[in-house]
Amino acid sequence: MKWGMVIDLEKCTGCQACSVACGMENNRLPGEHWQDVLFYTEGEYPSAQLKWFPRPCMHCENPSCMHVCPTGATYKTEDGAVLINWDKCIGCKYCMIACPYGVRFYTDEKPLVEPNVKTVFKSDGEHSWSPPWRMPATREDWKRGVGVQPNDVVSKCTFCYHRISKAPKGVADLDPNDPNLRDYTPACVVTCAPGARYFGDLDNPESEVSKLIAKKRGVRLLDHLGNKPQVYYLAGEAGAVPSSRANNKS
Amino acid sequence: MNVLNTLITRRRFLQATGVAGATAAAGAGLDRLSGFPTLAEAKSALAAEEGKTVITKSVCHQCPARCGIDVYTTNGRVHAIYGSLDSPIANGKLCPKGHLGAYILYDPDRFKGPMKRTNPKKGRNEDPKFVPVSWDEALNTVAARLQSLRDKGESHRFAILFGRGWGASDAGLLGTFGKLYGSPNAEINHSSMCSDASKKAKSCLDGNYSYNAYDYANTNYVLNFGASFLEAFRPFNNNMQQWGLMRTKSPKTRVTVVDVHLNTTAAAADRALYVKPGTDGAMALAIAHVMLTEGLWDREFVGDFKDGVNQFKPGLPVDPASFKEKWTLGLIEWWNNEVKDRTPKWAAEITTIPEKEIIAVAREFGTTRPAIALFERGPTTHTNGVYNGMAIHALNALAGSMFAKGGLFYQMGVPYGPLPVKADDYVDDYAKSGDRKKPRIDRVKTEDWPMASNMLQEIARNHLAGKPYQLDTAMFYLTNPTFNSPDPKAWEEALKDIFVIDTSPFPGETAMLADLILPDHTYLERLQCAESYPFQGWPMTTLRVPAVKPLYDTKVFGDVLIEIGKRIKGPMGEYYKALKDTENVIRHLAKGFEKAPGDNGVTGFDTWKDKGVWYKKPYLWQQIRGEFYEWDGKSYNKPMKPEEVKAKLIKTESGKFELKSSYLEHYAAYINKKLGIPEERVGFPQWVAPQYTGGGDLHFVTPKTAMHAEGRSANLPHAIALQQPTVGGNKTVYLEIHPDTARKRGIRNGDKVRIKSPVGGIEAIARYYQGVRPDTVVLPQEHGHWAMGRWAKNRLPTGSTTEVTANVSEPISGLAAYYTGKVTVERA
Repeated sequence: MKWGMVIDLEKCTGCQACSVACGMENNRLPGEHWQDVLFYTEGEYPSAQLKWFPRPCMHCENPSCMHVCPTGATYKTEDGAVLINWDKCIGCKYCMIACPYGVRFYTDEKPLVEPNVKTVFKSDGEHSWSPPWRMPATREDWKRGVGVQPNDVVSKCTFCYHRISKAPKGVADLDPNDPNLRDYTPACVVTCAPGARYFGDLDNPESEVSKLIAKKRGVRLLDHLGNKPQVYYLAGEAGAVPSSRANNKS
Repeated sequence: MNVLNTLITRRRFLQATGVAGATAAAGAGLDRLSGFPTLAEAKSALAAEEGKTVITKSVCHQCPARCGIDVYTTNGRVHAIYGSLDSPIANGKLCPKGHLGAYILYDPDRFKGPMKRTNPKKGRNEDPKFVPVSWDEALNTVAARLQSLRDKGESHRFAILFGRGWGASDAGLLGTFGKLYGSPNAEINHSSMCSDASKKAKSCLDGNYSYNAYDYANTNYVLNFGASFLEAFRPFNNNMQQWGLMRTKSPKTRVTVVDVHLNTTAAAADRALYVKPGTDGAMALAIAHVMLTEGLWDREFVGDFKDGVNQFKPGLPVDPASFKEKWTLGLIEWWNNEVKDRTPKWAAEITTIPEKEIIAVAREFGTTRPAIALFERGPTTHTNGVYNGMAIHALNALAGSMFAKGGLFYQMGVPYGPLPVKADDYVDDYAKSGDRKKPRIDRVKTEDWPMASNMLQEIARNHLAGKPYQLDTAMFYLTNPTFNSPDPKAWEEALKDIFVIDTSPFPGETAMLADLILPDHTYLERLQCAESYPFQGWPMTTLRVPAVKPLYDTKVFGDVLIEIGKRIKGPMGEYYKALKDTENVIRHLAKGFEKAPGDNGVTGFDTWKDKGVWYKKPYLWQQIRGEFYEWDGKSYNKPMKPEEVKAKLIKTESGKFELKSSYLEHYAAYINKKLGIPEERVGFPQWVAPQYTGGGDLHFVTPKTAMHAEGRSANLPHAIALQQPTVGGNKTVYLEIHPDTARKRGIRNGDKVRIKSPVGGIEAIARYYQGVRPDTVVLPQEHGHWAMGRWAKNRLPTGSTTEVTANVSEPISGLAAYYTGKVTVERA
């Protein structure tokens, strides 16, 4: 059993619903989204390109972040997710440096949007903030890094572990269009309007994700680093993952 | 890898303090570890909150699309919103805005109950000094004012101005209110600041004053002029679903986008063409020219030369007798008077799009079936907007796409049950009196705007000029012209001596000038029905079921209106007492479903609440190879007579798709006066040069983004954090400017700049962008508030984009020509 995600860049419209759905489901601070869509331009008018690249945590098979963690807070679950045990995390941020994908978050920073939502929706002291729409407290699971992020720890995409961990055992794919599986499917996959995201068991050759990777030549981001991401991209005619030509200024 | 760190730059740690910080934290960390609560402690403190999670069916309010939503509530607290699988629009999906509904519900700046103003001075810098009042006092105040106007014979001086209407239990009540009360101004909609030119262009040609339904799933080509299909064009969420399908089906649907800048819609397309603002019509006419000269029109819908030989030669007239038309009318006259000279070479000079690109698009569009030409505000918010739209819509006739599979059609109505009382039985002598025949304050249906439906943007200046009279009292519902009307400062002046009632739950600009606040519920607290906008043709209506009890002392707008009505003396009061409340209205509407059960088993109010939507497929008509058929229960089998087609589908005077519009010809003198077109030519889709205002050297275009949440995104921190008008744009919206254009003006990337016109000026941050025309700057609207909540205020830009927009409107539809302005840009 190895959960994994496939993102079809040909279908992705860059709308950022994944980022927002994740942000609300996981009570992320504005601008601290576990899932971002990065935008790039290259070329010159009238042949400029605008490209985008959705980037969740890659939940690597061989995660750099886990190897550098001094307390063992970051770990790999048996079903393939990379999680942080907030009870063990000391907020040293080694993992943030080690991660080649830039998908780990610490919350002691200047707020992106003023006035600071941490002040407006003040927490009980344990959490970084307390938005009125925070998840029911019983869903919080600090051993798995699920919940409103506490102060002084690092957080990351959990593949919505509070959802996927309740999925029926042995299921090949979590199809958000199936009413029986929808509530176990990661938020970003549920909401993706063009249907660019797929989620399933990479160990199961019969799963939709395995078939898509095979048929549509799935690729992994920065594969040469050896992290073996469990998130695959289908490029199609959309162009490959970000090229070194990309820049964001002129 | 730098390209992945685009957004990390704000995480200062990784760039500057990374290693040092990490070392320090590692050293100090072990101490803090002991201070952490254990999981067990944390859980026990919070376990009291456990409760059953309830899913309520509601309807999103972040755009007009009417996506059904599942609202997840535990212990009376909303903690998640997802698209509903029951909703044929949402299909379980949402756009980015849809998830942010909880922000609206729990907005800390919401009005908590009715209030009245105690500071008689009004202005941006005047604190209204609102004090709470009871609903009774508030409603009695309004009723007394309305009664007093009636007593003086001045009921026309009361107006209700509204933006988004939410169906029959909401804005649907307004017409009756005005009729019973005796004011022509009780339902003035914002449609003239929205998209009236699109509807008008279609009605000129095919008689349907409506947006279109589109069969995207079966089309193979989309030619999109200035509609932000993947950002804001309704229904955005479903557009994206269709996009996923169109781009992976076989054959893949090819897409060409014509716009003024490289937005995500254009970037995702196969071809992006950058058109000079307001000249889209020239491009469409040239496409028509190529389709005709190269014989690419649909003969089964349009007709053919009697001898079967194509006689369309550039520049040469054709004998009308040589062509037999089928479902169009006036093709040869149109060719002879307009299209024969509209060559790609001619259009290239006007649009700046290279001739060979125009020809390539025309050949693709002309040879791919089915094909759709669609458009929205890009071409239409100009002084020539209706003619631009007509030129584009005419392509749908040439391609045979009207009412065809994979083409476009219109929306069927909903078979609601009747209301409990008939309004006509309650119109008193006062309301019936000839004295009530006053012109509307916005002067529609007068010689000023004979063809427009609404002219909300005219009201402030008409009031200030006392032309045709001054308003006494104005109630605002879901509209905020003090921020978004062209030249909004006129509203700040006008509202100073009008008694203003605002019904918004939020402290917007209009509310800051209000005398009375009658706050509405936010949408997750409302019971409200709403019929679908044109979607896939078959009828659909949605129901918003309250997910939580109202958090504050607010009242749904429909009930406010009914309660005011009850307080007016005479038959009007009796009518509203009999109507009772909006729930009663909705229950009566739902009775219609007993006879017309929905496909999803909805047969009345309770089942409607369970599903959140009623719909009944299929769309009943289809054009197949030039013949029209009606659904016979199994397929499109029943041939339709021409008079049936005219009554149900092509609703022009001729019953044909009129390439010489009889509707426009009725207004030939007016159009001649306003646009200078010879009277005998007004009926043709044709090139009319746009009149740019402002006198600057750069076109100023102000689109919606994917985060444009019905006037609220400027106060939603998550939406603010995800603004991406150009690359990496984040935290604010930027003025897109071509680097060469900027450098010529000494503007560096990231400089604060001033955007000026004779109407006004605002400041914003300039962002170099190679994806924008060098003669155009682009700044998304909806930001730059001076009110509207703590996050909306005090961010750049320093004002609404409309503060530099002249109040000039397209004369046929009355649509505000938002994109017609030319500005200057300089370093601030």
